[in-house]
Amino acid sequence: MVRNFKTAGILAGVVLALGLPLAYAQSSAKTLETGTFHGKVHNTSGRATIYREADGRLILRLTNFKTSNGPDVHVVLIAAKDADDDANFLKNSTERVELGALKGNEGDQNYEIPAGTDLKKFQTISIYCERFNANFGAAPLEKF
Amino acid sequence: MRTSAPLRSKSFEVFENGIGPGKWPDSISVGMFMTIHISPWLLRRKWILVAIGLPVLVALWWAFRPEKLWINQKVNEPAPFDTSADPQPILTGRFEGNARHTNGRATIYKKPGGEYLQLSDFTAPSGPDIHVALVHDDAQAKSGLDSLDLGPLKANQSDQNYNLPGGTDLDKYDAVLIYAERPHAVFGLAKLEPF
Repeated sequence: MVRNFKTAGILAGVVLALGLPLAYAQSSAKTLETGTFHGKVHNTSGRATIYREADGRLILRLTNFKTSNGPDVHVVLIAAKDADDDANFLKNSTERVELGALKGNEGDQNYEIPAGTDLKKFQTISIYCERFNANFGAAPLEKF
Repeated sequence: MRTSAPLRSKSFEVFENGIGPGKWPDSISVGMFMTIHISPWLLRRKWILVAIGLPVLVALWWAFRPEKLWINQKVNEPAPFDTSADPQPILTGRFEGNARHTNGRATIYKKPGGEYLQLSDFTAPSGPDIHVALVHDDAQAKSGLDSLDLGPLKANQSDQNYNLPGGTDLDKYDAVLIYAERPHAVFGLAKLEPF
């Protein structure tokens, strides 16, 4: 009985977690900025687009995305117009906004941008290997 | 006489076991010539090699994650919002500054009725007989070659849409051109990339 209640609870939680965002997601989002990735050393390609959802949240979405797999790879917004393959964000003390660990090195994926992020200042998306401080690829964003 | 000899040898044994002055040269040589002096000792205690070697190997693996060189991690998240009812952008690009400044974005949308080009965030110099065309970037200098005239520019500012003729093969074109017919001057070119 206890186990049944547990599974029922977990199922209800999963249904709520999946269903609630879907229910709220019905109103469409506004496309703010977009740009394509470049990166030769780690062969990065695809598109990065920032959307503003109806509730005001900012979402970064990567589409047709591909990069090389690596250790501790993150998605970051950087305060720069663009970044080269050999850009060293630590050395240049480039300001960064962390969007989270890269979910996969291939395919479409979404990341939430913290509320209050100044998109006029943070103009480029970087796929950034934290462990070796390497920029795998960058997408300079431009107004859509 | 008999009793003194065994006593001496006993005291030597005590020194050799590490309590007397005999201990010191051993322990120093262990520190300074590790490979020579420690290896027989280590060989008798293989678990120490394993205990040091395994964490080192694990640390190296953790730092470099070499298996990721040939393992791909695929994801396929849906958009967190539903845009299926809206026209879908399929190609987009920004105008790059030319001799006369044209700024903004050109996007080709797909909707159930067909495709259309939208100019957004757009400014162009005003003038007579300015046209919008789809071109193939290589052929933009040659007039008429591989280009599709979408009609005269509706306004030199603000968002505007141009319908694409039915059956337009978008593989043939990769740029949007703003050009003047009579002086035959290029005002701006936007290279299109998949959205």
